[in-house]
Amino acid sequence: MSEILERRRFLKGVGACSLLMAPLGCTSVKEEEDGINRPHYVMVFDQNKCVGCGDCKGACNKANDLPEGVSKVLLEQQSGRVEGQPCPHCGKMECNCERKFVRVSCQQCKSAPCVSVCPTGAAHKDPKTGVVTMDDSKCAGCKYCITACPYNARFINAKTDVADNCDFCLESKLSKGELPACVQACRYDALIFGDANDPNSYVSRLLAVKDSVRIKAHLGTEPSLRYIPIVKLGV
Amino acid sequence: MDGTIEFTMGLSEGVAWPWPIAVYLFFAGISGGAMTIALCLRFFKGQTENTPFLKAASIVALGTILLGMVCLVFDLTNPLFFWRILVFYNLNSVMSIGVVALLFYIPLVAALALLALEEEIRDIKALNFLLPIVNALKGIRRPAEMLTLALALAVCAYTGFLISALIRFPLINTSVLPALFVASGLSAGAASAKMIAVGIFKEDLHSSEMKLLHGAEWPIMFFEALFIFMIAVSLMTGNAGAQAAFAAFTEGTWSSVFWVGVVGIGFAGPLLLNFATGKTFSHSSQAFYLSGVCAVTGMMCLRLFILYAGQMYAI
Repeated sequence: MSEILERRRFLKGVGACSLLMAPLGCTSVKEEEDGINRPHYVMVFDQNKCVGCGDCKGACNKANDLPEGVSKVLLEQQSGRVEGQPCPHCGKMECNCERKFVRVSCQQCKSAPCVSVCPTGAAHKDPKTGVVTMDDSKCAGCKYCITACPYNARFINAKTDVADNCDFCLESKLSKGELPACVQACRYDALIFGDANDPNSYVSRLLAVKDSVRIKAHLGTEPSLRYIPIVKLGV
Repeated sequence: MDGTIEFTMGLSEGVAWPWPIAVYLFFAGISGGAMTIALCLRFFKGQTENTPFLKAASIVALGTILLGMVCLVFDLTNPLFFWRILVFYNLNSVMSIGVVALLFYIPLVAALALLALEEEIRDIKALNFLLPIVNALKGIRRPAEMLTLALALAVCAYTGFLISALIRFPLINTSVLPALFVASGLSAGAASAKMIAVGIFKEDLHSSEMKLLHGAEWPIMFFEALFIFMIAVSLMTGNAGAQAAFAAFTEGTWSSVFWVGVVGIGFAGPLLLNFATGKTFSHSSQAFYLSGVCAVTGMMCLRLFILYAGQMYAI
């Protein structure tokens, strides 16, 4: 084979390879760089303090300009009773007391399934704060993120027709230096918000002394929401 | 209280991916399967002419993938947002990789269909304007075929990877799922292309090509059954979430879809039609079409079962 042909084949190969490799560099999602001083915003829900008033839901609806009756946070009512023992609330052996509450909202995973499955990069982590949020202008409405979320904490916002999640009021409050609307609205201090990477923040000091749990931690999603479970009476 | 805090409520009601997605998985599987089988046959037998089976397979592959795209677009919350998926990419996402594969696959299948149907295009006056394109494509036929074969298999497997990435559903989140979808895509793709080849392109029911395809059918079906069995066993012997999801096989509407549709129609149907009937019937064209329809129906039921039952049993 002549030298000319060899070169032609080489050039062809180079062309084909670059065509194949080009799309790999064209991803619309930016990898997060490892900044040392990046915050890690966490929210703590104290089950001992929540009375289920629902003020958080109302504040969420207002702050995020959501359709009527919709909010990015729900409260699940549960029964606090232990089988065979009197109800901790009414003292009866049989009752329908459901006075234990659990906050249901986006768990702000560090390793978020919604972000990794999103085909357009609409569900992404805000580069400055690390908060999982939405770029509405990129979302195609495929609902992949909704099926992928192990917490079922995402939904289609009827106003925008695209997927949505609780992003700690990133745009409406956090970017202005305010606390998320639900934290501001809570009259019982059941919600605590702050930067866990700052050792002097209230939330860091709280987590240092209180036992807290994360939901479905075994899935490896590393949620940023922490829950302080109710302490049983008489202990 | 058993361990930690849990909640059962959610912000979205019902299944997020309803039947149009199952139909899309079905169409994409048939398309990839038909194309793979036809091209493998062509390479294996060293064919250079346009066989009836190749013509049928390219029509089936093109038609189904386009119908699949329609299903996909209409399942978006707003179909007009479709362009966003073509403009923005996230290569960590299986769906985005699938979009890249489909962007190459669909035009290639269209090109191969034009090449395979050259005679038909020549015969129909209204389509004669396509002839210059056909002639221009002839030069790249071989490389295009090889690339399409790779992409056809990729599209088949992609439909499996797309949903097996969902960690919330034990029935779906298994490594076997892509293999199962490739196997079921191959069998249903071959069956639908065979029916079109005999019905429209007048292939002889007992030609050597058809014999070869009939022979390949049973091993593929065996692997399909094996993969389903593997998923069932891993759920049955798995952790609490997996064990709860095993109920998909034993309870509710979707278990009937599985036992009647997938096992009864999809597996037992073709087997009985071919081996439990007399030689005259099992070699007749009725038996041929009936068992083809059984294979395709079984595959549709499999996708519906996996998607719906899978999404119902979340952890």
